Amino acid sequence: MSLTEQRTGAVTAALAEDRLGVPSVVFFVISAAAPLTVVAGVVSTAYAVTGVVGVPLAFVLLGAILAVFAVGYVTMARHVVNAGAFYAYTARGLGRPAGVATAWVALLAYNAVQVGLYGVIASAATPLLTDWFGVTPDWWAVALAAWLLTGALGLMRVDVNGKVLAVLLLAEIAVVVVFDLAGLAHPAASGYSPEAFAPSSLLVPGMGAVIAVCVAAFAGFESSVVFSEETKDPRRTVPIATYIALAVISGLYAISSWTVTVAVGSDKVVEASRAQGPGLIFELAGRHLGTTAATVGSVLFVTSILAAMIAFHNTISRYIFALGRERVLPSIFGRTSPPTGAPVSGSVAQSVTGLVVIVIYAVSGLDPLVHLFFTVGSFGGFGVLLLLAGTSVAVLFFFTREPGLENAWRTRIAPGLASVLLLIVLGLALVNFDTVLGVEPGSPLRWILPAVYLAAIVFGVAWGLTLRATRPRVYANIGLGAQAAIGGDK
Amino acid sequence: MHYDITGRTRLHAPLTGIGLAAALLGELMLADRITMRAAPGGTRLEPVQEPSSEESEGAGTSGRDPLARVVLAHIVAEPSHTVRTWLRFLARTARADVASRMTADGLLRPHRGLLGSRHLPVDTNQAAWPVGRLNIAVRRREPLGARDRVLLGLLNATGVARLVLWERNTTYLAGAVEGLAPRLQELLAQTEAAVGDAVISRR
Repeated sequence: MSLTEQRTGAVTAALAEDRLGVPSVVFFVISAAAPLTVVAGVVSTAYAVTGVVGVPLAFVLLGAILAVFAVGYVTMARHVVNAGAFYAYTARGLGRPAGVATAWVALLAYNAVQVGLYGVIASAATPLLTDWFGVTPDWWAVALAAWLLTGALGLMRVDVNGKVLAVLLLAEIAVVVVFDLAGLAHPAASGYSPEAFAPSSLLVPGMGAVIAVCVAAFAGFESSVVFSEETKDPRRTVPIATYIALAVISGLYAISSWTVTVAVGSDKVVEASRAQGPGLIFELAGRHLGTTAATVGSVLFVTSILAAMIAFHNTISRYIFALGRERVLPSIFGRTSPPTGAPVSGSVAQSVTGLVVIVIYAVSGLDPLVHLFFTVGSFGGFGVLLLLAGTSVAVLFFFTREPGLENAWRTRIAPGLASVLLLIVLGLALVNFDTVLGVEPGSPLRWILPAVYLAAIVFGVAWGLTLRATRPRVYANIGLGAQAAIGGDK
Repeated sequence: MHYDITGRTRLHAPLTGIGLAAALLGELMLADRITMRAAPGGTRLEPVQEPSSEESEGAGTSGRDPLARVVLAHIVAEPSHTVRTWLRFLARTARADVASRMTADGLLRPHRGLLGSRHLPVDTNQAAWPVGRLNIAVRRREPLGARDRVLLGLLNATGVARLVLWERNTTYLAGAVEGLAPRLQELLAQTEAAVGDAVISRR
């Protein structure tokens, strides 16, 4: 359609044509959460490492806490333009130095979650490679292949595109549901025990750990607000999509993790997860549905992990790009690649991080599943918790400073409740940090890793204050992202 | 024509669209047809009232170029939109619109190949001239005219400057942009912001 064919008055109509509706936003959001990666990878590892049976209850509780959090979060999206990320919110709610601190924490946390996935890809792909080609490569060879693919697609700016993503996602969800039904049809001796949902199975010493691990499974749901400006009706589309995504994700995870306890027996689930790791649900599926079903599931497990890697890679490179545009990071990070429009420097920086971690783990012979996927992934999960708690407090402060914009439930009660709940969860996770990481209680890592976040926060605030003193124009633009080019209040 | 970024295969299609959309607005600003007005919620575009002509809409008075006239008619009809919205709106069709204008002016000829249709320059020397002229000026540190300064600013804002300029002298570039009227400087900043948004967008 050419411009000359349009009648006047068509500007809004023309732009509305390619705006997103609720289903598209839900798809984008859930795909970053990669359901099969969580159900096969996170669930079994959570049972195995924490030894806690209450994983399903943890998913339900987290879903509820995040829903309360989302109330204030999506409300703030109506009032903060360019609500690109958590740090835009904290910059507005808690001050720009807090915004920079949030950005550093987010970069650490997302990178940890992304890099953690390199630790699980081998256990997903190797059984298939052995079956099909009779080869059993080292885990790091598989990880490097995935790394190469992610890096290359990132540079070419191939977001796994909408349609491919939708097909993969629906296939993943279908597989999870079919596996669940099969598991429920073949209960173990303990039968349909509700034990996994009983508070007593979660209120145990490892509780904080389970929650920190499970929160990583929700990482990505916060991206719904990024679409604010591209939706048909931001006031309705974004909140509805967020709640639907949360309900689907937490429901799917809770039921699936419970099904595993039904099929294996709630008394044996920890033991079985320790013995078989992510292979557990495929072994169950093979027993209940035959090898073909198990193979289909295994293939989708691989594509699910790859999709999650690419999604997190792109999230991180955009984050770095936005910070480069603001000049909070050196301006080289704000560069794009002319032919592809990709945020090149951000993408390369993320790839370098991934490579360094893979090489360190390969050289030092650490276990990829426990020490990379679980430890580093949970470290990322803890960071996501920090981001959620910080953002929730920021929402509260923002609406306290600008009262009268929305009703009290959205601006005070829900954000206040969410802040308290998230801070409690954060405290529990910190108390159980040895279990969160899957290390010995006496391990120094137990203190070193949380200290890394503390350092990021201190360094972030310090950098924010330095900018205020030395480069006030950059300071004024913190949190604006690409709009930093024109300044905020024009 | 001067603002045609060599684009096509060298710059990502959505970014080319934004660059050309900004170029169309830049032409209207240089011709004193539109200006910028700061407003709550974002800078707006505003048609400049021409004292000589009483009849509104500006049809027939906005120069001989039909495309510029259409763009101006849109802005006259819906002055409530922000620059950001205009860039997004014009970017959708800018490439096709500019290509047909250049074809009509005999600068491009349609070419049907195996892999779909393309436009090829009628005279490659003429097509390469604007960027070549800029390169020579940058190298010699010569002062540029307003049109060329806008072109330079747009090449930079879209990121294509790194591909087509022989040397990138930031002091020279900053000087060239600072010499422009505030509304043109704002247009360049808005273009940079729109390009950044397009890069961050997940679609």
